[in-house]
Amino acid sequence: MAGDIASLSDLDQEKYDADEQVKIICLGDSAVGKSKLMERFLMDSYRPQQLSTYALTLYKYTTTIDDKTVLVDFWDTAGQERFQSMHPSYYHKAHACIMVFDVQRKITYKNLSNWYMELREYRPEIPCIVVANKIDADMKVTQRNFNFAKKQGLPLYFVSAADGTNVVKLFRDAIKLAMSYKQNSSDFMDEVMRELENFELERKDDTTDKDNVSKIPGFYLRDPSS
Amino acid sequence: MTYTAKKCGVRFTPPAIVLIYEDAVTQKARKRIMPVRSFSKFSDCSKAAERLKNNVRHSAYLQDVSMRQMERLHVILRDRLLGRTLEQSLASLRLDPNEDLNKLGDEELSRKKARMDQLFEQNRKKKDDPDFVYDVQVDFPQDERLETCSWDEEESDGGF
Repeated sequence: MAGDIASLSDLDQEKYDADEQVKIICLGDSAVGKSKLMERFLMDSYRPQQLSTYALTLYKYTTTIDDKTVLVDFWDTAGQERFQSMHPSYYHKAHACIMVFDVQRKITYKNLSNWYMELREYRPEIPCIVVANKIDADMKVTQRNFNFAKKQGLPLYFVSAADGTNVVKLFRDAIKLAMSYKQNSSDFMDEVMRELENFELERKDDTTDKDNVSKIPGFYLRDPSS
Repeated sequence: MTYTAKKCGVRFTPPAIVLIYEDAVTQKARKRIMPVRSFSKFSDCSKAAERLKNNVRHSAYLQDVSMRQMERLHVILRDRLLGRTLEQSLASLRLDPNEDLNKLGDEELSRKKARMDQLFEQNRKKKDDPDFVYDVQVDFPQDERLETCSWDEEESDGGF
């Protein structure tokens, strides 16, 4: 079922610009239950595509929001999280993020701040939900405050992929957030990236004068000397 | 004749699974040593475990011992052939809540995941269960929480 065909169309991320397409990414440490959550939400209907070349699994999902058909691509990490960081293309054009930790393992909670920092580096504005998974193992955790979510002003969901608690709600809310983000925001980073792409093209056309770039006042993406 | 398994373990040389059991008739504790044959560091532990569990001479004694446990015992035997110490292999089979699993290789990680799957399967509501509900919603009111998570306590240096 899970093909290993890393066809170009799957990674053609231009499609996420279309109105009815959203991309939602999952983040979090190894073995916090990201794939189990996906599978619980999609039940039998899922056909994950393993793109092992990219250490990533795609789950496609179709739903209807306000009488409109919406195609959702969920991106799951497939072991890439073990490099402590994801490839930039993982974040590219994402509309929402589901960030998971395991309530039985403190380190996965502590590592949220690293994941969150990396997320914000690439996607400063997209909605993000913090997920406390495996509450079936210890229901007492639902009585506690987890400051990370509060401090960052993020919603926190208590879920269990095993017994299903709040899993469907989590994904449906994530899709709604992704849609509303897409409809309402003009993401600053997207604008910058677009400008940069155009800029690159112009520069390529103008190969005669290499100094051109630095002559544009106030335009530094990253100063190599610093 | 029925046998109640009490304890099981391994013998390294030559490799064997050791079982302490009680004979229901005599009510006496007995030890049974079951050699693990044609087993190498390349062997598939789950297949080897299955083979022993279904062995005509041993299966009656191994009724109470789960496949999972049989497999773990074989993993310990194989680790030995790979030059790992008993401590190392036991640690790889145990869950340490403070261990960073991001740092493990494929096989070590899958051992930990297998261990976690035990609890997952135990608590799992399956689609075919009579009380299965697809969309389970439980509200955990945020403001009623009195207890601050101890995981946040040592964050005085502003980690988050």
